[in-house]
Amino acid sequence: MVPPRPGWTPLRLCRPRRLAPHTTTPAPARLISSTTSASQAADGFPTSSSSSPSSSGNPQPPNKPQPPKPKKPLTPEQQSFLSSALRVNQAGELAATLIYRAQTPVVVGREPHLRPLMQHMYDQEVGHFRTFNELIAKHRVRPTALYPLWSVLATGLGWTTGVLGREAAMACTEAVETEIGGHYNAQIRRLLEMVGEWEAEGYDVGDEFRELISTLRRIRDEELEHLDHAVEHDAKKAEPHWLLTGVIRAGCRGAIWVSERV
Amino acid sequence: MSSSALACFAGATTARRILLRPRWPTILPGTPSVAAPCRSSSACATRSIIITSQQCDLLPRPRQRQCEQQAIFFTPNRSYHSHDHPPPPGPFTHAEQNLLSAAYVHVPSHGFSQEALALGARDTGLLDISPSILPDGVFSLIRWHLYTQRTLLAAKAKDAVDQTAAVTVGDKVEALAWLRLRGNEAVVGRWQEALAIMAQPSYVPASLKELASLADEILYLAGDVSVDPSWYTKRASLSAIYAAAELFQTTDQSPKFRETRAFLRRRLDEAAQAGGALRSVGEWVGFNASAAVNVLRSKGVRI
Repeated sequence: MVPPRPGWTPLRLCRPRRLAPHTTTPAPARLISSTTSASQAADGFPTSSSSSPSSSGNPQPPNKPQPPKPKKPLTPEQQSFLSSALRVNQAGELAATLIYRAQTPVVVGREPHLRPLMQHMYDQEVGHFRTFNELIAKHRVRPTALYPLWSVLATGLGWTTGVLGREAAMACTEAVETEIGGHYNAQIRRLLEMVGEWEAEGYDVGDEFRELISTLRRIRDEELEHLDHAVEHDAKKAEPHWLLTGVIRAGCRGAIWVSERV
Repeated sequence: MSSSALACFAGATTARRILLRPRWPTILPGTPSVAAPCRSSSACATRSIIITSQQCDLLPRPRQRQCEQQAIFFTPNRSYHSHDHPPPPGPFTHAEQNLLSAAYVHVPSHGFSQEALALGARDTGLLDISPSILPDGVFSLIRWHLYTQRTLLAAKAKDAVDQTAAVTVGDKVEALAWLRLRGNEAVVGRWQEALAIMAQPSYVPASLKELASLADEILYLAGDVSVDPSWYTKRASLSAIYAAAELFQTTDQSPKFRETRAFLRRRLDEAAQAGGALRSVGEWVGFNASAAVNVLRSKGVRI
Protein backbone atom coordinates (compact mmCIF):
# COMPACT_ATOMS: atom_id res chain seq x y z
CA MET A 1 0.00 0.00 0.00
CA VAL A 2 1.21 3.49 -0.76
CA PRO A 3 2.10 5.42 2.39
CA PRO A 4 -0.29 8.30 3.15
CA ARG A 5 0.81 11.68 1.87
CA PRO A 6 1.20 14.67 4.18
CA GLY A 7 -2.09 16.33 3.21
CA TRP A 8 -4.33 13.34 3.96
CA THR A 9 -5.61 14.07 7.41
CA PRO A 10 -8.90 12.19 7.30
CA LEU A 11 -7.46 9.20 5.52
CA ARG A 12 -4.54 8.91 7.90
CA LEU A 13 -6.74 9.27 10.95
CA CYS A 14 -9.55 7.02 9.91
CA ARG A 15 -8.15 4.23 7.90
CA PRO A 16 -6.04 2.23 10.33
CA ARG A 17 -8.99 1.91 12.67
CA ARG A 18 -11.44 0.93 10.01
CA LEU A 19 -9.87 -0.73 7.08
CA ALA A 20 -8.40 -3.79 8.76
CA PRO A 21 -11.52 -5.36 10.30
CA HIS A 22 -13.91 -4.35 7.53
CA THR A 23 -12.30 -5.21 4.26
CA THR A 24 -13.95 -8.60 4.05
CA THR A 25 -17.32 -8.00 5.76
CA PRO A 26 -20.44 -7.50 3.58
CA ALA A 27 -21.82 -4.01 3.09
CA PRO A 28 -24.66 -3.75 5.68
CA ALA A 29 -22.69 -5.08 8.65
CA ARG A 30 -19.83 -2.90 7.63
CA LEU A 31 -21.99 0.16 7.72
CA ILE A 32 -23.14 -0.19 11.30
CA SER A 33 -19.81 -1.17 12.73
CA SER A 34 -17.96 1.47 10.78
CA THR A 35 -20.30 4.08 12.20
CA THR A 36 -19.40 3.20 15.77
CA SER A 37 -15.72 2.79 15.25
CA ALA A 38 -15.32 6.02 13.35
CA SER A 39 -17.42 8.03 15.77
CA GLN A 40 -14.99 6.98 18.44
CA ALA A 41 -12.25 8.08 16.12
CA ALA A 42 -13.88 11.48 15.71
CA ASP A 43 -14.35 11.91 19.44
CA GLY A 44 -10.71 11.18 19.88
CA PHE A 45 -9.86 14.00 17.49
CA PRO A 46 -7.93 16.79 19.13
CA THR A 47 -10.54 19.55 19.24
CA SER A 48 -9.10 23.02 19.07
CA SER A 49 -11.53 24.43 21.61
CA SER A 50 -10.99 24.81 25.32
CA SER A 51 -14.25 22.98 25.93
CA SER A 52 -13.03 19.73 24.45
CA PRO A 53 -13.45 17.69 27.65
CA SER A 54 -17.17 18.36 27.75
CA SER A 55 -17.60 18.04 24.00
CA SER A 56 -15.97 14.64 23.84
CA GLY A 57 -18.40 13.28 26.41
CA ASN A 58 -21.60 14.74 25.06
CA PRO A 59 -22.70 12.64 22.06
CA GLN A 60 -25.92 10.78 22.79
CA PRO A 61 -27.64 9.08 25.66
CA PRO A 62 -25.15 8.89 28.58
CA ASN A 63 -25.68 12.38 30.03
CA LYS A 64 -29.38 12.89 29.41
CA PRO A 65 -30.08 16.50 30.52
CA GLN A 66 -32.81 17.33 32.98
CA PRO A 67 -36.00 18.60 31.30
CA PRO A 68 -36.32 22.06 32.97
CA LYS A 69 -33.06 23.35 31.47
CA PRO A 70 -33.66 26.15 28.95
CA LYS A 71 -32.22 26.27 25.45
CA LYS A 72 -29.99 29.12 24.40
CA PRO A 73 -31.05 31.20 21.38
CA LEU A 74 -28.68 30.81 18.47
CA THR A 75 -26.40 33.75 17.84
CA PRO A 76 -26.37 35.23 14.31
CA GLU A 77 -22.89 33.81 13.88
CA GLN A 78 -24.05 30.30 14.77
CA GLN A 79 -27.05 30.68 12.50
CA SER A 80 -24.94 31.72 9.57
CA PHE A 81 -22.52 28.86 10.23
CA LEU A 82 -25.36 26.37 10.33
CA SER A 83 -27.02 27.66 7.20
CA SER A 84 -23.81 27.74 5.20
CA ALA A 85 -22.94 24.26 6.49
CA LEU A 86 -26.27 22.79 5.41
CA ARG A 87 -26.12 24.65 2.10
CA VAL A 88 -22.64 23.42 1.22
CA ASN A 89 -23.50 19.87 2.30
CA GLN A 90 -26.54 19.81 0.06
CA ALA A 91 -24.50 21.14 -2.85
CA GLY A 92 -21.81 18.53 -2.16
CA GLU A 93 -24.23 15.64 -2.07
CA LEU A 94 -25.91 16.90 -5.23
CA ALA A 95 -22.52 16.89 -6.94
CA ALA A 96 -21.64 13.44 -5.57
CA THR A 97 -24.94 11.99 -6.79
CA LEU A 98 -24.39 13.41 -10.25
CA ILE A 99 -20.75 12.27 -10.41
CA TYR A 100 -21.76 8.68 -9.68
CA ARG A 101 -24.72 8.88 -11.99
CA ALA A 102 -22.49 10.02 -14.87
CA GLN A 103 -19.71 7.55 -14.06
CA THR A 104 -21.80 4.43 -13.61
CA PRO A 105 -22.90 3.66 -17.18
CA VAL A 106 -19.46 4.36 -18.63
CA VAL A 107 -17.51 2.39 -16.02
CA VAL A 108 -19.99 -0.47 -15.78
CA GLY A 109 -20.12 -0.74 -19.58
CA ARG A 110 -16.47 -1.76 -19.54
CA GLU A 111 -16.26 -3.64 -16.26
CA PRO A 112 -19.63 -5.13 -15.36
CA HIS A 113 -18.35 -6.60 -12.09
CA LEU A 114 -18.25 -3.06 -10.65
CA ARG A 115 -22.01 -2.63 -11.02
CA PRO A 116 -22.95 -3.58 -7.41
CA LEU A 117 -20.27 -1.31 -5.97
CA MET A 118 -21.25 1.69 -8.10
CA GLN A 119 -24.91 1.06 -7.35
CA HIS A 120 -24.19 0.84 -3.62
CA MET A 121 -22.24 4.10 -3.58
CA TYR A 122 -24.83 5.85 -5.74
CA ASP A 123 -27.68 4.71 -3.51
CA GLN A 124 -25.93 5.99 -0.41
CA GLU A 125 -25.26 9.35 -2.05
CA VAL A 126 -28.91 9.63 -3.05
CA GLY A 127 -29.82 8.94 0.57
CA HIS A 128 -27.47 11.70 1.78
CA PHE A 129 -28.82 14.13 -0.80
CA ARG A 130 -32.37 13.42 0.35
CA THR A 131 -31.37 13.91 3.99
CA PHE A 132 -29.89 17.33 3.30
CA ASN A 133 -32.80 18.35 1.10
CA GLU A 134 -35.10 17.64 4.01
CA LEU A 135 -32.86 19.47 6.47
CA ILE A 136 -32.61 22.51 4.20
CA ALA A 137 -36.37 22.71 3.77
CA LYS A 138 -37.00 22.15 7.47
CA HIS A 139 -34.58 24.80 8.65
CA ARG A 140 -35.45 27.31 5.93
CA VAL A 141 -31.95 27.48 4.54
CA ARG A 142 -31.43 28.97 1.10
CA PRO A 143 -30.07 26.40 -1.39
CA THR A 144 -26.94 27.41 -3.25
CA ALA A 145 -27.54 29.86 -6.07
CA LEU A 146 -25.01 28.05 -8.26
CA TYR A 147 -27.07 24.84 -8.29
CA PRO A 148 -27.17 24.62 -12.13
CA LEU A 149 -23.44 25.29 -12.38
CA TRP A 150 -22.57 22.55 -9.87
CA SER A 151 -24.90 20.16 -11.70
CA VAL A 152 -23.15 20.74 -15.00
CA LEU A 153 -19.63 20.61 -13.54
CA ALA A 154 -20.31 17.47 -11.50
CA THR A 155 -21.83 15.63 -14.44
CA GLY A 156 -18.90 16.70 -16.58
CA LEU A 157 -16.37 15.55 -13.98
CA GLY A 158 -18.08 12.18 -13.51
CA TRP A 159 -18.38 11.55 -17.21
CA THR A 160 -14.79 12.61 -18.00
CA THR A 161 -13.22 10.45 -15.30
CA GLY A 162 -15.51 7.59 -16.28
CA VAL A 163 -14.33 7.80 -19.89
CA LEU A 164 -10.70 7.96 -18.74
CA GLY A 165 -11.14 4.53 -17.19
CA ARG A 166 -11.86 2.70 -13.97
CA GLU A 167 -8.67 3.90 -12.26
CA ALA A 168 -9.40 7.54 -13.05
CA ALA A 169 -13.00 7.17 -11.87
CA MET A 170 -11.79 5.68 -8.59
CA ALA A 171 -9.12 8.37 -8.24
CA CYS A 172 -11.88 10.95 -8.65
CA THR A 173 -13.89 9.26 -5.88
CA GLU A 174 -10.79 9.12 -3.72
CA ALA A 175 -10.05 12.83 -4.19
CA VAL A 176 -13.64 13.95 -3.66
CA GLU A 177 -14.28 11.78 -0.62
CA THR A 178 -11.00 12.83 1.00
CA GLU A 179 -12.02 16.47 0.79
CA ILE A 180 -15.59 15.73 1.85
CA GLY A 181 -14.48 13.63 4.83
CA GLY A 182 -12.23 16.41 6.10
CA HIS A 183 -14.97 18.93 5.51
CA TYR A 184 -17.55 16.93 7.49
CA ASN A 185 -15.04 16.43 10.27
CA ALA A 186 -14.49 20.18 10.53
CA GLN A 187 -18.25 20.72 10.72
CA ILE A 188 -18.71 18.05 13.37
CA ARG A 189 -15.90 19.54 15.45
CA ARG A 190 -17.45 22.98 15.24
CA LEU A 191 -20.87 21.59 16.24
CA LEU A 192 -19.37 19.69 19.16
CA GLU A 193 -17.67 22.89 20.27
CA MET A 194 -21.00 24.72 20.12
CA VAL A 195 -22.87 22.02 21.99
CA GLY A 196 -20.05 21.76 24.52
CA GLU A 197 -20.26 25.48 25.23
CA TRP A 198 -24.00 25.23 25.82
CA GLU A 199 -23.53 22.35 28.21
CA ALA A 200 -20.74 24.18 30.04
CA GLU A 201 -23.05 27.18 30.46
CA GLY A 202 -25.83 24.96 31.79
CA TYR A 203 -28.16 25.13 28.79
CA ASP A 204 -30.03 22.22 27.33
CA VAL A 205 -28.99 20.63 24.04
CA GLY A 206 -32.09 19.61 22.15
CA ASP A 207 -32.68 16.60 19.94
CA GLU A 208 -32.31 18.84 16.91
CA PHE A 209 -28.57 19.16 17.44
CA ARG A 210 -28.01 15.65 18.71
CA GLU A 211 -29.64 14.31 15.58
CA LEU A 212 -27.78 16.71 13.35
CA ILE A 213 -24.43 15.62 14.78
CA SER A 214 -25.24 11.93 14.55
CA THR A 215 -26.51 12.38 10.97
CA LEU A 216 -23.32 14.17 9.99
CA ARG A 217 -21.24 11.42 11.60
CA ARG A 218 -23.11 8.69 9.82
CA ILE A 219 -22.76 10.43 6.48
CA ARG A 220 -19.09 11.20 7.09
CA ASP A 221 -18.42 7.53 7.79
CA GLU A 222 -20.23 6.44 4.66
CA GLU A 223 -18.25 8.91 2.57
CA LEU A 224 -14.99 7.60 4.01
CA GLU A 225 -16.18 4.09 3.28
CA HIS A 226 -16.42 5.14 -0.39
CA LEU A 227 -12.86 6.39 -0.11
CA ASP A 228 -11.75 2.95 1.08
CA HIS A 229 -13.62 1.28 -1.77
CA ALA A 230 -11.94 3.59 -4.26
CA VAL A 231 -8.47 2.84 -2.90
CA GLU A 232 -9.22 -0.89 -2.93
CA HIS A 233 -10.17 -0.62 -6.59
CA ASP A 234 -6.87 0.74 -7.86
CA ALA A 235 -7.44 4.45 -7.45
CA LYS A 236 -3.68 4.82 -6.94
CA LYS A 237 -2.95 3.28 -10.32
CA ALA A 238 -4.51 6.15 -12.21
CA GLU A 239 -2.07 7.95 -14.47
CA PRO A 240 -1.05 10.59 -13.48
CA HIS A 241 -2.52 10.09 -10.02
CA TRP A 242 -1.03 13.18 -8.39
CA LEU A 243 -2.33 15.48 -11.12
CA LEU A 244 -5.81 14.02 -11.22
CA THR A 245 -6.37 13.99 -7.47
CA GLY A 246 -4.64 17.34 -7.05
CA VAL A 247 -6.85 19.08 -9.58
CA ILE A 248 -10.05 17.48 -8.31
CA ARG A 249 -9.26 18.23 -4.68
CA ALA A 250 -8.44 21.85 -5.49
CA GLY A 251 -11.72 22.05 -7.39
CA CYS A 252 -13.60 20.57 -4.42
CA ARG A 253 -12.08 23.04 -2.01
CA GLY A 254 -12.96 25.91 -4.33
CA ALA A 255 -16.52 24.66 -4.73
CA ILE A 256 -16.90 24.30 -0.96
CA TRP A 257 -15.57 27.81 -0.42
CA VAL A 258 -17.98 29.27 -2.96
CA SER A 259 -21.01 27.25 -1.85
CA GLU A 260 -20.57 28.36 1.74
CA ARG A 261 -21.04 31.91 0.55
CA VAL A 262 -23.32 31.90 -2.49
CA MET B 1 -43.41 47.00 0.15
CA SER B 2 -41.04 47.35 -2.64
CA SER B 3 -43.60 47.74 -4.98
CA SER B 4 -41.15 50.57 -4.57
CA ALA B 5 -39.50 49.49 -7.76
CA LEU B 6 -42.85 49.02 -9.40
CA ALA B 7 -44.12 52.29 -8.06
CA CYS B 8 -41.39 53.97 -10.05
CA PHE B 9 -42.66 52.48 -13.29
CA ALA B 10 -46.34 51.74 -13.02
CA GLY B 11 -47.44 54.54 -10.79
CA ALA B 12 -44.86 57.00 -12.00
CA THR B 13 -47.13 59.99 -11.93
CA THR B 14 -48.66 59.21 -8.59
CA ALA B 15 -45.32 58.46 -7.08
CA ARG B 16 -43.86 61.69 -8.40
CA ARG B 17 -46.75 63.70 -7.06
CA ILE B 18 -46.24 62.18 -3.64
CA LEU B 19 -42.51 62.65 -3.72
CA LEU B 20 -42.87 66.31 -4.62
CA ARG B 21 -45.22 66.98 -1.78
CA PRO B 22 -43.46 68.21 1.36
CA ARG B 23 -43.10 65.21 3.60
CA TRP B 24 -43.62 66.98 6.89
CA PRO B 25 -46.13 69.68 5.97
CA THR B 26 -47.29 70.78 9.39
CA ILE B 27 -45.93 70.00 12.75
CA LEU B 28 -48.69 69.78 15.33
CA PRO B 29 -49.38 73.02 17.18
CA GLY B 30 -47.31 73.08 20.30
CA THR B 31 -45.13 70.25 19.13
CA PRO B 32 -41.48 71.13 19.18
CA SER B 33 -40.16 70.19 15.79
CA VAL B 34 -39.42 66.53 15.79
CA ALA B 35 -36.00 65.47 14.72
CA ALA B 36 -35.77 64.37 11.13
CA PRO B 37 -34.37 60.92 10.44
CA CYS B 38 -30.64 60.95 11.00
CA ARG B 39 -28.49 60.78 7.95
CA SER B 40 -24.97 60.18 9.22
CA SER B 41 -23.93 56.61 8.80
CA SER B 42 -22.47 56.26 12.27
CA ALA B 43 -25.60 57.40 14.04
CA CYS B 44 -27.86 55.56 11.66
CA ALA B 45 -26.43 52.13 12.19
CA THR B 46 -29.23 49.72 11.49
CA ARG B 47 -30.85 47.77 14.26
CA SER B 48 -29.30 44.48 13.32
CA ILE B 49 -25.84 45.93 13.72
CA ILE B 50 -26.67 47.44 17.06
CA ILE B 51 -27.85 44.12 18.37
CA THR B 52 -25.06 42.06 17.02
CA SER B 53 -22.26 44.49 17.75
CA GLN B 54 -22.70 43.69 21.42
CA GLN B 55 -22.07 40.07 20.59
CA CYS B 56 -19.23 41.03 18.27
CA ASP B 57 -17.49 42.73 21.16
CA LEU B 58 -17.09 39.39 22.85
CA LEU B 59 -15.03 38.08 19.96
CA PRO B 60 -11.27 38.48 19.58
CA ARG B 61 -10.27 41.68 17.81
CA PRO B 62 -9.68 40.44 14.24
CA ARG B 63 -13.00 38.57 14.21
CA GLN B 64 -14.94 41.66 15.31
CA ARG B 65 -14.67 43.41 11.98
CA GLN B 66 -15.70 40.31 10.12
CA CYS B 67 -18.64 39.76 12.43
CA GLU B 68 -19.83 43.33 12.00
CA GLN B 69 -19.56 43.06 8.26
CA GLN B 70 -21.58 39.88 8.28
CA ALA B 71 -24.21 41.52 10.44
CA ILE B 72 -24.99 44.03 7.72
CA PHE B 73 -26.03 41.29 5.34
CA PHE B 74 -27.64 39.24 8.04
CA THR B 75 -31.27 38.44 7.39
CA PRO B 76 -32.79 36.73 10.40
CA ASN B 77 -35.43 34.59 8.77
CA ARG B 78 -33.31 33.37 5.86
CA SER B 79 -30.61 31.72 7.85
CA TYR B 80 -30.90 28.57 9.91
CA HIS B 81 -34.32 28.40 11.52
CA SER B 82 -34.24 26.28 14.64
CA HIS B 83 -37.36 24.42 15.76
CA ASP B 84 -35.85 23.68 19.16
CA HIS B 85 -34.22 26.88 20.25
CA PRO B 86 -36.00 30.14 21.06
CA PRO B 87 -35.90 32.64 18.18
CA PRO B 88 -33.37 35.48 18.27
CA PRO B 89 -34.74 38.92 19.22
CA GLY B 90 -36.68 40.82 16.55
CA PRO B 91 -35.40 43.92 14.80
CA PHE B 92 -37.03 46.39 17.22
CA THR B 93 -36.04 47.16 20.80
CA HIS B 94 -38.65 47.25 23.53
CA ALA B 95 -38.80 51.05 23.59
CA GLU B 96 -39.18 51.18 19.84
CA GLN B 97 -41.95 48.61 19.95
CA ASN B 98 -43.95 50.69 22.44
CA LEU B 99 -43.50 53.87 20.49
CA LEU B 100 -44.20 52.38 17.08
CA SER B 101 -47.27 50.42 18.12
CA ALA B 102 -48.75 53.59 19.64
CA ALA B 103 -47.85 55.63 16.57
CA TYR B 104 -49.30 52.99 14.25
CA VAL B 105 -52.78 53.69 15.63
CA HIS B 106 -52.52 57.21 14.20
CA VAL B 107 -51.46 56.15 10.73
CA PRO B 108 -54.97 55.99 9.19
CA SER B 109 -55.61 59.63 10.17
CA HIS B 110 -52.10 61.11 9.94
CA GLY B 111 -50.33 58.86 7.49
CA PHE B 112 -46.84 57.47 7.80
CA SER B 113 -45.52 60.77 9.07
CA GLN B 114 -43.68 62.50 11.88
CA GLU B 115 -47.06 63.61 13.22
CA ALA B 116 -48.15 60.03 13.76
CA LEU B 117 -44.85 59.34 15.49
CA ALA B 118 -45.18 62.41 17.71
CA LEU B 119 -48.77 61.51 18.64
CA GLY B 120 -47.66 57.98 19.40
CA ALA B 121 -44.93 59.31 21.67
CA ARG B 122 -47.48 61.42 23.55
CA ASP B 123 -49.83 58.46 23.93
CA THR B 124 -47.10 56.40 25.55
CA GLY B 125 -46.24 59.28 27.86
CA LEU B 126 -42.91 60.01 26.21
CA LEU B 127 -41.47 63.34 25.20
CA ASP B 128 -42.31 64.56 21.72
CA ILE B 129 -38.65 64.41 20.81
CA SER B 130 -38.49 60.68 21.50
CA PRO B 131 -39.21 59.47 17.93
CA SER B 132 -35.65 60.58 17.18
CA ILE B 133 -34.44 57.34 18.75
CA LEU B 134 -35.70 55.61 15.61
CA PRO B 135 -32.77 55.07 13.29
CA ASP B 136 -34.81 55.58 10.13
CA GLY B 137 -37.52 57.96 11.30
CA VAL B 138 -40.74 57.53 9.37
CA PHE B 139 -39.38 54.52 7.52
CA SER B 140 -39.21 52.72 10.86
CA LEU B 141 -42.96 53.12 11.12
CA ILE B 142 -43.38 51.60 7.67
CA ARG B 143 -41.08 48.76 8.60
CA TRP B 144 -43.08 48.24 11.75
CA HIS B 145 -46.18 47.74 9.61
CA LEU B 146 -44.36 45.33 7.29
CA TYR B 147 -42.73 43.44 10.13
CA THR B 148 -45.83 43.04 12.31
CA GLN B 149 -48.03 42.06 9.39
CA ARG B 150 -45.50 39.50 8.25
CA THR B 151 -45.06 37.94 11.67
CA LEU B 152 -48.84 37.88 12.18
CA LEU B 153 -49.14 35.61 9.16
CA ALA B 154 -47.76 32.59 10.97
CA ALA B 155 -50.44 32.77 13.66
CA LYS B 156 -53.31 33.31 11.24
CA ALA B 157 -52.08 31.03 8.46
CA LYS B 158 -53.86 27.87 9.56
CA ASP B 159 -57.29 29.49 9.81
CA ALA B 160 -56.90 31.26 6.49
CA VAL B 161 -55.90 28.08 4.72
CA ASP B 162 -58.70 26.08 6.33
CA GLN B 163 -61.29 28.70 5.35
CA THR B 164 -60.41 28.51 1.69
CA ALA B 165 -60.06 24.72 1.80
CA ALA B 166 -56.78 25.08 -0.07
CA VAL B 167 -55.00 21.80 -0.67
CA THR B 168 -52.17 22.45 -3.11
CA VAL B 169 -49.22 24.67 -2.34
CA GLY B 170 -50.37 27.08 -5.05
CA ASP B 171 -53.78 27.52 -3.44
CA LYS B 172 -52.22 28.01 -0.03
CA VAL B 173 -49.86 30.63 -1.44
CA GLU B 174 -52.83 32.48 -2.84
CA ALA B 175 -54.74 32.28 0.44
CA LEU B 176 -51.74 33.53 2.41
CA ALA B 177 -50.90 36.34 -0.04
CA TRP B 178 -54.52 37.44 0.19
CA LEU B 179 -54.35 37.27 3.98
CA ARG B 180 -51.32 39.53 3.91
CA LEU B 181 -53.00 41.97 1.51
CA ARG B 182 -55.98 42.17 3.85
CA GLY B 183 -53.51 43.21 6.54
CA ASN B 184 -53.06 46.45 4.57
CA GLU B 185 -56.76 47.34 4.84
CA ALA B 186 -56.39 49.67 7.83
CA VAL B 187 -53.70 51.81 6.20
CA VAL B 188 -54.51 51.35 2.52
CA GLY B 189 -55.47 55.01 2.06
CA ARG B 190 -51.97 55.98 3.18
CA TRP B 191 -50.07 53.17 1.53
CA GLN B 192 -49.07 55.14 -1.58
CA GLU B 193 -47.17 57.56 0.66
CA ALA B 194 -45.42 54.62 2.23
CA LEU B 195 -44.53 53.19 -1.18
CA ALA B 196 -43.06 56.55 -2.15
CA ILE B 197 -40.90 56.62 0.98
CA MET B 198 -39.81 53.03 0.40
CA ALA B 199 -38.79 53.94 -3.14
CA GLN B 200 -36.24 56.46 -1.84
CA PRO B 201 -32.80 55.12 -2.70
CA SER B 202 -31.58 54.76 0.88
CA TYR B 203 -34.60 52.66 1.84
CA VAL B 204 -34.80 50.49 -1.27
CA PRO B 205 -32.46 47.72 0.00
CA ALA B 206 -34.32 47.38 3.31
CA SER B 207 -37.66 47.39 1.51
CA LEU B 208 -36.57 44.74 -0.96
CA LYS B 209 -35.24 42.61 1.87
CA GLU B 210 -38.56 42.91 3.65
CA LEU B 211 -40.37 41.90 0.45
CA ALA B 212 -38.09 38.89 0.05
CA SER B 213 -38.71 37.90 3.67
CA LEU B 214 -42.43 38.10 3.09
CA ALA B 215 -42.27 35.89 0.00
CA ASP B 216 -40.12 33.42 1.93
CA GLU B 217 -42.56 33.41 4.84
CA ILE B 218 -45.59 32.86 2.60
CA LEU B 219 -43.95 29.98 0.75
CA TYR B 220 -42.72 28.40 3.98
CA LEU B 221 -46.15 28.63 5.59
CA ALA B 222 -47.72 27.23 2.43
CA GLY B 223 -45.54 24.16 2.87
CA ASP B 224 -43.30 24.62 -0.14
CA VAL B 225 -40.19 22.44 0.18
CA SER B 226 -38.34 23.21 -3.05
CA VAL B 227 -34.58 23.04 -2.58
CA ASP B 228 -33.37 23.56 -6.15
CA PRO B 229 -33.24 26.66 -8.37
CA SER B 230 -37.04 26.84 -8.21
CA TRP B 231 -36.50 28.11 -4.66
CA TYR B 232 -35.31 31.34 -6.26
CA THR B 233 -37.80 31.54 -9.11
CA LYS B 234 -40.76 30.91 -6.80
CA ARG B 235 -39.69 33.64 -4.41
CA ALA B 236 -38.91 36.08 -7.18
CA SER B 237 -42.22 35.56 -8.96
CA LEU B 238 -44.23 35.70 -5.74
CA SER B 239 -42.45 38.93 -4.75
CA ALA B 240 -43.22 40.53 -8.09
CA ILE B 241 -46.85 39.40 -7.98
CA TYR B 242 -47.34 40.53 -4.41
CA ALA B 243 -45.81 43.94 -5.11
CA ALA B 244 -48.01 44.39 -8.17
CA ALA B 245 -51.13 43.32 -6.26
CA GLU B 246 -50.31 45.71 -3.45
CA LEU B 247 -49.96 48.57 -5.90
CA PHE B 248 -53.28 47.55 -7.45
CA GLN B 249 -54.85 47.51 -4.00
CA THR B 250 -54.00 51.17 -3.33
CA THR B 251 -56.35 52.27 -6.11
CA ASP B 252 -58.98 49.56 -5.69
CA GLN B 253 -62.43 50.96 -4.85
CA SER B 254 -64.37 47.68 -5.05
CA PRO B 255 -66.09 46.37 -1.90
CA LYS B 256 -63.81 44.19 0.19
CA PHE B 257 -61.08 44.63 -2.45
CA ARG B 258 -62.75 42.08 -4.67
CA GLU B 259 -60.87 43.36 -7.71
CA THR B 260 -57.52 42.98 -5.95
CA ARG B 261 -58.33 39.41 -5.13
CA ALA B 262 -59.18 38.68 -8.77
CA PHE B 263 -56.01 40.46 -9.88
CA LEU B 264 -53.92 38.37 -7.49
CA ARG B 265 -55.52 35.16 -8.70
CA ARG B 266 -54.95 36.01 -12.36
CA ARG B 267 -51.28 36.83 -11.81
CA LEU B 268 -50.66 33.64 -9.82
CA ASP B 269 -52.39 31.54 -12.49
CA GLU B 270 -50.24 33.13 -15.17
CA ALA B 271 -47.09 32.41 -13.19
CA ALA B 272 -48.15 28.80 -12.70
CA GLN B 273 -48.81 28.43 -16.43
CA ALA B 274 -45.47 29.94 -17.37
CA GLY B 275 -43.71 27.68 -14.85
CA GLY B 276 -45.51 24.64 -16.23
CA ALA B 277 -44.54 25.49 -19.81
CA LEU B 278 -40.91 25.98 -18.81
CA ARG B 279 -40.90 22.66 -16.97
CA SER B 280 -42.37 20.87 -19.98
CA VAL B 281 -39.68 22.27 -22.26
CA GLY B 282 -36.98 21.23 -19.78
CA GLU B 283 -38.42 17.73 -19.54
CA TRP B 284 -38.58 17.39 -23.32
CA VAL B 285 -34.96 18.52 -23.77
CA GLY B 286 -33.73 16.25 -20.99
CA PHE B 287 -35.59 13.24 -22.33
CA ASN B 288 -34.25 13.71 -25.83
CA ALA B 289 -30.70 14.29 -24.65
CA SER B 290 -30.64 11.10 -22.59
CA ALA B 291 -32.33 9.18 -25.41
CA ALA B 292 -29.63 10.37 -27.83
CA VAL B 293 -26.86 9.29 -25.46
CA ASN B 294 -28.49 5.90 -24.99
CA VAL B 295 -28.83 5.38 -28.74
CA LEU B 296 -25.13 6.14 -29.20
CA ARG B 297 -24.24 3.76 -26.36
CA SER B 298 -26.33 1.00 -27.93
CA LYS B 299 -24.32 1.50 -31.15
CA GLY B 300 -21.16 0.75 -29.21
CA VAL B 301 -19.84 4.30 -28.81
CA ARG B 302 -17.96 4.47 -25.51
CA ILE B 303 -19.57 7.52 -23.95
